[in-house]
Amino acid sequence: MQLTNSKKNGKPVGRALAAATCALLGVQATDALAKDKPGEWDVETALLVYSEADDRVQAVEPVISATRNYDGDRKLNLKLIADTLTGASPSGATPSDVPQTFTQPSGNGSYDVTAGDAPLDDSFKDTRVALSTSWTAPLDRDYTYSVGAYGSREYDYLSTAVNGSLSRYLNNKNTTLTGGLSLGFDLVDPVGGAPTGLSRMPLKANKTGTQFDQEFADTRETDDTKTLVDALFGVTQVINRRTLMQFNYGVSYSSGYLTDPYKILSVIDDASGANFGGNLIGSDSNPVYLYENRPDTRIKHTLYWQTKYMLENGDVMDGSYRFMVDDWGITSHTVDLKYRWNMDKSYLEPHFRYYLQSEADFYKRYLTATEYNGGTPTLSDASADYRLGDLTGLTFGAKWGYHLDEDHELAIRAEYMIQTNDGDQGFGKLASQDLYPDTSAMWLQLSYSF
Amino acid sequence: MTTICVSAQDNPAKHPLPRITGKQRSWQGRFEAMASPCEILLDGIGRTDAEQLLFHAARETWRLERKFSRYVSGNPIDRINHSNGEPVTVDDELALMLDYAAQCYELSDGRFDITSGVLRRAWRFDGSDRLPEKDKTDALLNLVGWGNLNWQHPQLTLPEGMEIDFGGIGKEYAVDRVLLDLKRLLPEGSSVLVNFGGDLACSGPRTDDKAWIVGMENHRKLTDSSETLSLRGGALATSGDSHRYLLRDGVRYSHILDPRTGWPVPDAPHSVTVAAATCTLAGMLATFAMLQGANAEHFLKEQDVLFRVQRSWIQHSRV
Repeated sequence: MQLTNSKKNGKPVGRALAAATCALLGVQATDALAKDKPGEWDVETALLVYSEADDRVQAVEPVISATRNYDGDRKLNLKLIADTLTGASPSGATPSDVPQTFTQPSGNGSYDVTAGDAPLDDSFKDTRVALSTSWTAPLDRDYTYSVGAYGSREYDYLSTAVNGSLSRYLNNKNTTLTGGLSLGFDLVDPVGGAPTGLSRMPLKANKTGTQFDQEFADTRETDDTKTLVDALFGVTQVINRRTLMQFNYGVSYSSGYLTDPYKILSVIDDASGANFGGNLIGSDSNPVYLYENRPDTRIKHTLYWQTKYMLENGDVMDGSYRFMVDDWGITSHTVDLKYRWNMDKSYLEPHFRYYLQSEADFYKRYLTATEYNGGTPTLSDASADYRLGDLTGLTFGAKWGYHLDEDHELAIRAEYMIQTNDGDQGFGKLASQDLYPDTSAMWLQLSYSF
Repeated sequence: MTTICVSAQDNPAKHPLPRITGKQRSWQGRFEAMASPCEILLDGIGRTDAEQLLFHAARETWRLERKFSRYVSGNPIDRINHSNGEPVTVDDELALMLDYAAQCYELSDGRFDITSGVLRRAWRFDGSDRLPEKDKTDALLNLVGWGNLNWQHPQLTLPEGMEIDFGGIGKEYAVDRVLLDLKRLLPEGSSVLVNFGGDLACSGPRTDDKAWIVGMENHRKLTDSSETLSLRGGALATSGDSHRYLLRDGVRYSHILDPRTGWPVPDAPHSVTVAAATCTLAGMLATFAMLQGANAEHFLKEQDVLFRVQRSWIQHSRV
């Protein structure tokens, strides 16, 4: 009986065992962490609460992202984001020594701003839902591709994009070259219609309802579109066992309606007299405010360099620098530093970011009556949006994460940002106003992955 | 000697960090895992690459150790062993192991059984003459038998009280897994040998086309003399441990238990070493041979593999 045990159905057991062993070992080696185990969904959930000081923008943003690994290399990712934004945002108008009244974007009403206060548009409320999906898979041993789609919808904006990228591995996967392209198409449908660029904001005072409605209708255009093309070329290089470096160059071209339909500019009286530096008063006895207007194309170039370094004790230093320049005249520099301090089951990651930006060529904190030129502006583009001005931002924060077990991580991130703007200080009465109040914001993010 | 840094997350068992010695294009890395000294020999690469490969090897070995050990609470094996008869869904890697265990059970006519570990509760191989009561081993046999569990990919249902244990496969599997990983990362013209406590596999001969020479001393104490063996390709694995037995009335009871009787396999060799294409296959053939008892040598000859069988009075080999 025992003699028969060396054979099974007439064949040596070893032959069948060898085949079984090949099946066992034939599977693609997975040396990655438990996260990349095939056949399971990895889900990340997060809740971000963003709050700007002085009752300005408040946002709540839940995110859910799920990745399905098929065999370690092929991955499907789905991501759903919903934001709710409320609060007030600077309209672009300058503060004044007298109270100011502005027409709401819808045309159905107005809002008042106390003398000396920064004009904020408080009709700002939006809910956005965004869905994105991507698929990554190897083409062969040396190439991996990825394709994706994105769509988001908010009350006055629809955004869609498709993207694709191809990566090539070289030097035993120590070098990765990546090329990517993204095409986007957005539909802008502002509340009350898009205002004509640099047209005067209609104001209701001293007018009949019909007169105002006519004036409002005259400044409106239909909805508008925007197209975006982004191309990216990147190199990721493993320098040694501890150091990883990445360089990216990106170029982005956008065309169409690039103006912010809710931003305005104040026109300031620069004729000598009692109102020197005050709001220019038009023929309807109301101050003059113009809707902003931006060029209809923009080309942006971005260079990005990142280095990650793992210390002897397993801690990770992560530093990056980004340089951006565009044909609107904006250049910006971003330095971002993180240090991941690994403890037994948790980690602490302090974060620091410095951002410096120069203003766009058409950035104007206000227009003068001379530039307004009685309704035929001498400029074709102008915006008082502080995000296009000279600005410096500092962000401090920290993230603390805790590994509940192999697959579950709980993390909390808190950040504080302070942003300061600078520029033309005005003249006459305007010089006594604070044209560049600091912006500060706090955000808190709680995330859980499983 | 250089210490390789591995993060605490990748080293959950808090082993000492891997160390590397060597010079120019020849390196020896060492770390510990699975209660064995682990050795990675690398030929034909520079120090930076060698350090990186050792890092990968240790990380992967420790991952497998954590995943397949029956002593780590909360790992997949522990979850299965504490499932109280409820079905457990396993990942692809563990599913392949279970498929393999099923085939080994079938090919060995039920002699190799990953559910046989509970028999250890009755047997203590301490060199004494204390044999367990037959009643006790018979009672435990109710908890043994691959045929009693239900394995339907990807779900395993283990009856309450039963346990599974990959102790008989895990280390050899880790050797192959790590070797496969390193081969994927190795530059052209280099070679590697992975040796976990005497179970070993290599990518081919050394870069000078000579065989790898591996010291066998201290690992298993096969003999009193320290031996070396040479390997030019493939893998070697050894089953058995001459220091674990019971002796009563002149009969030596080996620690190789037959899961069908609950008692040691009669006339099992002290140790069996087999050479095969992979370490997992070599290890399983060696285990099958041990389970054949007196027929170990005959079994191995039928398989047409190189082997060495050690018995207390004589050595049969075909190396």
